[in-house]
Formats: sequence, C-alpha cells, structure tokens
Amino acid sequence: MVDGPETHSAKRDDESKEKGKFIVERDYIEPTRIVEPSSLTAEGVDISGRWGTIVLPRTINEFDTSIYERVKRLPGGSHIANCWQCGNCSAICPVAHEHPEFNPRYLIHIVKMGYTSEIERLKDSVYLCSGCGLCSSVCPRGVDPQHVMIALSLAFHAKGVL
Amino acid sequence: MRKPVRNWRSLRRMANTIIDSGGGEEIELKEEDAKYFEKLVAERRAKLALGTVEDYLRMLEKMRELEASGEIMVHHVEEDYEPVSVRTLSGRTKKVPTVDTWQHKSCGQCGHIPGYVTSLFWIMRELGIPFIDDTNQTSCTAWNYYGSGTSNTVALSSVFLRNMHVAYEKNAYPLIHCGTSYGDYKECRFLVVMSRDIRERVRNILKKVDRDLVIPEELVHYSEWLHVMRSRIAEKRKYDVSGITAAVHAACHTYKLMAEDYTYDDSVMGGVKPAPTTSVALALGAKVADYSTWYDCCGFGFRHILTEREVSRSFAYFRKIQPVVREAKADVLLVHDTGCVTTFDKSQFVFHAHGYKESVPVISDSQFAALTMGAHPFIVCQLQWHLADWRPLLTKMGIDWEKAQSEYKSYLEGIKKGGRPEFIRSPPRKLAPRVKT
Amino acid sequence: MSSEDSVLIVGGGPAGLRAAVDLAEMGFNVVLVERRAELGGAPIRWKYHTLAPDMRPTEEVMSPLIDACKSNQRIKVYTSSVASSFSGSPGEFSVEVKGADGSSSTHRVGAIIVATGFEHFDARVDPRYAYGRAPDVIGINELEGMLRSGKIVRHDGSTPRRIGFVFCVGSRDRSTNPWCCTVCCGVSIKQAIELRRLLPDSQIYMIYMDIRTWGLWEKLYWDSMEKYGINYIRGRVGEVYYTGEKLLVKGEDTLVRGPIEVLFDMLVLAVGMEPGEGTRQAARVFGLNLNEYGFLKPRQPNIHFDSGVGGVFLAGACVAPMSIEEALEEGSAAAMQAAKVLIRSSKQRVPI
Repeated sequence: MVDGPETHSAKRDDESKEKGKFIVERDYIEPTRIVEPSSLTAEGVDISGRWGTIVLPRTINEFDTSIYERVKRLPGGSHIANCWQCGNCSAICPVAHEHPEFNPRYLIHIVKMGYTSEIERLKDSVYLCSGCGLCSSVCPRGVDPQHVMIALSLAFHAKGVL
Repeated sequence: MRKPVRNWRSLRRMANTIIDSGGGEEIELKEEDAKYFEKLVAERRAKLALGTVEDYLRMLEKMRELEASGEIMVHHVEEDYEPVSVRTLSGRTKKVPTVDTWQHKSCGQCGHIPGYVTSLFWIMRELGIPFIDDTNQTSCTAWNYYGSGTSNTVALSSVFLRNMHVAYEKNAYPLIHCGTSYGDYKECRFLVVMSRDIRERVRNILKKVDRDLVIPEELVHYSEWLHVMRSRIAEKRKYDVSGITAAVHAACHTYKLMAEDYTYDDSVMGGVKPAPTTSVALALGAKVADYSTWYDCCGFGFRHILTEREVSRSFAYFRKIQPVVREAKADVLLVHDTGCVTTFDKSQFVFHAHGYKESVPVISDSQFAALTMGAHPFIVCQLQWHLADWRPLLTKMGIDWEKAQSEYKSYLEGIKKGGRPEFIRSPPRKLAPRVKT
Repeated sequence: MSSEDSVLIVGGGPAGLRAAVDLAEMGFNVVLVERRAELGGAPIRWKYHTLAPDMRPTEEVMSPLIDACKSNQRIKVYTSSVASSFSGSPGEFSVEVKGADGSSSTHRVGAIIVATGFEHFDARVDPRYAYGRAPDVIGINELEGMLRSGKIVRHDGSTPRRIGFVFCVGSRDRSTNPWCCTVCCGVSIKQAIELRRLLPDSQIYMIYMDIRTWGLWEKLYWDSMEKYGINYIRGRVGEVYYTGEKLLVKGEDTLVRGPIEVLFDMLVLAVGMEPGEGTRQAARVFGLNLNEYGFLKPRQPNIHFDSGVGGVFLAGACVAPMSIEEALEEGSAAAMQAAKVLIRSSKQRVPI
C-alpha cells in the first residue's frame, strides 16, 4: 500500500454518505440498501426523510443464471465454468491493486451464482480491466479471466443490465 | 423425567442407543425420533447461555444450601399458590404459581400497549383469581443493561431483589410481565447466588432501604401463567376461533436468556419450541402456523432500536411480518413481550406508505385470550392503541367491532363527564398472610 | 472345534473380504465372521450404485470377492454372528463365535483380523438439516439406491430441478463428529455427475467448506465443473426449513460475505462415517484400544494394521474413515501380517 496525499474517491463517498446520515450506526450499512424518501405520507402525515427511511435486506434468495448462460456462449467466456475461486487472477491483477471494486475472481463468482444485485452494483468495474492478460497466464484451470472480462461486458449489455 | 444432558459425548451415546435398537439394517425415518434428537440438541444449546445446564442446576442447589445455612431467605412456591408443574428446557420441573400473584408490570407494555396488561388482569378477574397490582414496583432498569451500559451487576441485582422483597412482604408471588425483566432477573439471580461478593454488596444496598435478601424459588413469566391456565381460559371462551390462523413469535428475552428455565411441553410444537403462547392459541381452538424465521428477533434488539431504529423496523417487516403473512398466512401474530409487540405493530405503517402490501395485526397472547373470552376490544383490550389493522381479525372472530367502537365512545364521554372507569379500579395492595398448614 | 482354522476375520466388508480371499489363496484356512446377514459390508448394504472415482459398478469390485469367499473351500463364513470371547496367545488363539440363532462354535486360530468397518452418520442427530422431518432431505447413502434404480424423484413423484448437496454433515463439527470422513467430497461429486447425466435440466449446487478430493480423485472435481457445469457454494448450512413445498436452505456464501436463503427441490446430505456397534463390540472382546473418537486405535498412527495386541491385526474403516480402495489394500496388508504370524508359529504348517 502506497500512502498518497489524499484519497481520490472521497467525493463519491461523500455523496453516498448523505443518505440516511442520521442513523447512528450508519457506517455499517451499504448505501444501496438505504431508502430515504424525499416525499412520503402515511394517512396524510408527512413521513419524508428520517421517519420514512427503511433499510432493504441483503439476503440473497435467488440464483439468476441467465447472464451466466449467456457468458458461457460468448467467445472468451466459454471456460468460465472452470473457475474454482482460488483468486490467483486477483492476486496478480495490477488493476485490482489500485481499484478495490475490480476483482476478477469476485466478478466471475457473482455471475456464476447469478447474484443480480451484486452484478448491478459492480457492473461498471468490469471496464477497469486493462487487458494485460497476467490473470490468464497464471490461472490454474484455464478460465482465461482476461477474455471472460470482455464476455462479461458484452453479456451485461445484452442483458440490459447497463 | 429426562436427566439433563452432560455433554455431546453422552448425547451421542443416547443417540446411538436409539439407532442401534432400530436394528441398524435400515434407518427408518421416524418423525418422533427426529424430534427427540432435536430436543437433545436444543438442550445442548441451552448450555450456551450463562453457564451450562449443570451450572444452573448447581445454582438452584446452592440456593437451597444458602437458605439452609440462614444466609438468604427463599420465597417458595408454596401449595397456597396452587402451583402447576411444567417442564423446562433443562428437563427440570418448574412450579408455576396460579393464584395470589404480584403483578410485575413492564415499562414499555404499559406505555405502548396498555391492553396487554389490562387483558391479563381482566382474565384473572374473570377466573376469580386474586392478585396484587402494586403501585410500589420499580422498573427493573434492565434498559441500562442493554442500552447504554450505565448500570452494573450489583445495581441491577439490587433492583431485582428490592422488587422481589416488596412482593414477599405482601404475601404474593411475583409474576413478571416483561420478557426483559424476566431474563434479567434470571441472570441476576444466578450471579447473586453464585457470587458471594455480589451477594454481600447487594445485601448492603438492601439494608439501606430496609429490605432483606429474599430470592424467589421460581422466576415466572406471565406467559407461563397463561400456559398453565389455558384450559381454564378455554372453558370460558365466547367466540369460535377455529377459523383463525395465528403465527407465534416467542420473545428472545424469555427463552434465550437463561434458556434452560423456560417452559417446554412435549405436546406443543413437538416439545422443541417454547410452549407458552402457542399452547394458549391451540387451547382456544385456533390454528398455529409455523414460518421460516420463527427463531429470529423481532428487530427491537434493544441496542438497535436505540441506535438504528430504521434497521429495527426494516428487520421487523422484511424478516418477520413478510414471512408471517406469506408463509404462515396468519390472521394474527401473537407475541408475549413488550418490545416485540411494539416493534411489529408500530413498524408496519412505514412500509405500507412505501407500497408494501403485507399486513398482520399484532397482539399479545393475553389480548387474544381475553378477546376470545368476550372482553371488550377497546375498554379492556385497548386495540385502539394498535396501528396494524386489527379489524379483519375481529370480523373473522365474529366480534362486532363497530358496535364496540360506539360503546367505547360513549364510555369515554361518560368519563369526561366525571364518571369512573368501569374496568380500571383500585386493586388490593396487600394480600392477607396465608396460614401455614 | 476345528484345528485346521488358521485366521479368524471379523467383518465381511471390503477389507475383511480382501483379507479372507488373500489368505485362502495363500493356502490358509479362514473363518469369516459377519454381524449382518449378508456379506459385502456398507457397499452392498446400502446398494452403492457405482464407486468413485471412475464410476465402476459396485458389483465389479465386490462380487468377485463375495463369490470367492462363498466358493473357496478354505473359507468358512459365519453370517449373523459375532466373535463373543477370545483367549490364548499369537499362534494359538481360541475364539468363540456366536450366532444370532443361538448357535455357538469355538475356533482355534493363529491370528485375528478385525475389519468391522463404519456406520453412516445418522443425520437426525443434527436437527439443523431437518433430516427425518422434512421430505426430500436424503443422505448420500440413500441417493445411491435412487441412482441404481435410475429414478430420481421427490416424495410426491415429481422430478427435482434444483438439487443441493450439503457437505460435512456429521463431520468436522464439534457437536457431532469432529473428524473428516475423507471420501464424502468425492462420493458427492460422483453422485452429482451421475445426477446431471440422468437429469440434464437440473441445477446442482454443492455447499462445501473445502473440497477434499485427494490424489487422483481430483479429476472428479474438475470434471464436475468443466464438463457438467455443477456449481459450488462455499459455506455451511445453518438451517433447513421445509416450506410445505420446497426446502429453504439458510446459509452464507462466504465468498461474497452474504447470507443466502434459497429454495431447493431436494437436498442430499453428505453424511460422514463413524464407528459402529460392531467396532465397539470387537474392541470389548479382543481388548483393543479405542481412540478419542471411538475408532480402533493402532499402536502407532502410521501403521494401521498393528493393533498393539499380538496376533490381532486391524484393517479398513474401523481404524479411520477411508475409501473402498484403501480398505481393500488394508485387507491385503493385514492378511500379510497374519500370514507372518502363522508361518512363524511352529504349530502351523508352512504353506507351499
């Protein structure tokens, strides 16, 4: 880890921290789960903002394998089934060392399992891949993560996730 | 009576005996065997509370020793209290007093859902059972225990024994309404009996308020009282509730704090889930439906309601109300603790404003029993304090709530004009001392 | 009394059968005592369809051994019988064999092999899996019978679509059995592949902590993903709840740090292996040591056959959980040790 003069992602963090900021233990809750209504009434009483704020559950209760099936048929994605989540790709990935959101091992897993909310959250990060191919050179199962990332971006488009 | 399980090894041995006696060739999937194994593990789980089941039984033994040596007094569940025996999770038999009880009320209960306690009093009066509704009771202060950490073991134990002594001097046996008080008292009792240091410090504090160290032989939750009285309650039912499906939420503080001492019954939920409340609904003739998150908290969580109430209400709705409606298809959610009723009942409206559809009325077992026995929905059961829509439930029970509503309005008018409340009246403050036989 | 008897073997499973056949083929007489009515041990009793790793039909491995035991004149088989008492010293033991029908016989033998095998863990002991209470929760031992019949059905006769395997049931858990059964990963994966062949439209999820397909069994693991598209979820099941229709499995996918609650049509529990009553009984009769888990304890852990009691040898899953291939090897190894005792013993004739 290299110390820098400032954190560049600070601005984006500030925006997401606005939502539900009155919750005392706010730091433990992912911003995407907080619904803070700007305008909401219950039987004529204004419950906008804090009174109407709810937190969505994070339990995964469905496997939606439609994107996975698409990826398997795309060039580059045909070996995604081989992945056993060892993390060798993320270990050597130079981008993952810079961007916590980009983790090829994790992207492959959420697509294989069909965790749609996680895919929705991380779909943009797939473009952070620089295509250097180090991952594919170390993958013990021949998953070819470098090309899986390309297939993922195509599948996300076709599915209309983006 | 089954002996408490010593450790997992003896549990396995017991399990092996069962399996081997089956002949071994084919394992027959008998439901009762599965239940039996589940019970074994539930008993093992009880050890994960404060100490083990053995520790708990040792504590009860030590309480008797301390009494014999004159160090403490024990408030026994004498025959005068007409006790009924129940099985606890530890396998031990517990005596539940049925008459001459000292009503240990709950802060949140009286504040948020007053119909909870008035229903209980009403039932006792209907059954002709004497009790004391004492004004000289304090909060157990266990809010501190969970909320802010401002209290401590000695202070909590002193408040506990102070209340117990008030009951003792009034010749009544404490019946604790609040799940938190009940759980807190069980833990405090364990510490007072097992630790000389705590005991002596508590004794000094009690001396300053001119009270003695009197420990109740049994700590009894009101839901256990309803449980043992269920057939007498059912005899008095006025409405047919066989068309009602209830879901039950057992309160964490009643059956997860000192888990080994809460009531279980082999005839209720296979003896693997707490018996009270479910047993009352069944005795009244209602159906009780199971749901996948029955073991989960209501969302209140004490700390959570204070620091992140948005999470509390969301948990209550997504984790409990939705499964209760979707899976159990329940007409009513029955609860036996203050925090749970409040959290379930007063959280739903926010979600309805957001467009979620699931809704279920939430009432206590005492309210459900009183309603079925014909208590007034508003004067006694005080459903006007409940937020989730109870009208469909009352209609399904055959109660004319519109008529009851207009009765209640004129009743209120009467009070405004100086009339006295017909139900809330001064109860006796002290019972006559019992003559020892 | 039969003075020609040379070796008494307790247990007619893979290890015991292998030892019996080897000794008989070396020219020694064998008394084979089996507690149950049938020879073959767990693979036959539970009707194992095929054996890992290459899905060879169980009969191809077991039938030649069983047939040899039944037809070889040197092997005397006592089924529904147990060794009930034992005395003497290496080279001249006397063992009483009692039958369930009340019969009794005494055998003078030079050596003894204990190969009492294992029992499948009874998943009712751990109620979180709802085994025995909820329908469509079965053990891997029971799935073998279904695979043999070629008909995979739920309790109502319908075909399951989403099937989950739960690994380490009754294994690696302090509240039940703390050890690893070593073979259930491989067996479960073998079964998952067989299920996919029978039900190509099914989705199969393996809920595991680690995959322990040791040695060449690893190929099963690779094939299951690469050729059969079987999915793996790392985590452990917290609770199984029967909704009246499907099985709601509560767990955590530890790779996403998130709770999952997913409905399955059928759950297969990879039940572990544990010592059975036969092992405990044999330990009592022959004065053998049991380890902390109840398996027979060899004098030193690296040499399984050495029981610590002279002339009494151990083989197979009564010593530790193991595969059938290992149990067969241990049967041969114990036979070799028994032969050594017999040859050294002056009372025994030296075979050709």
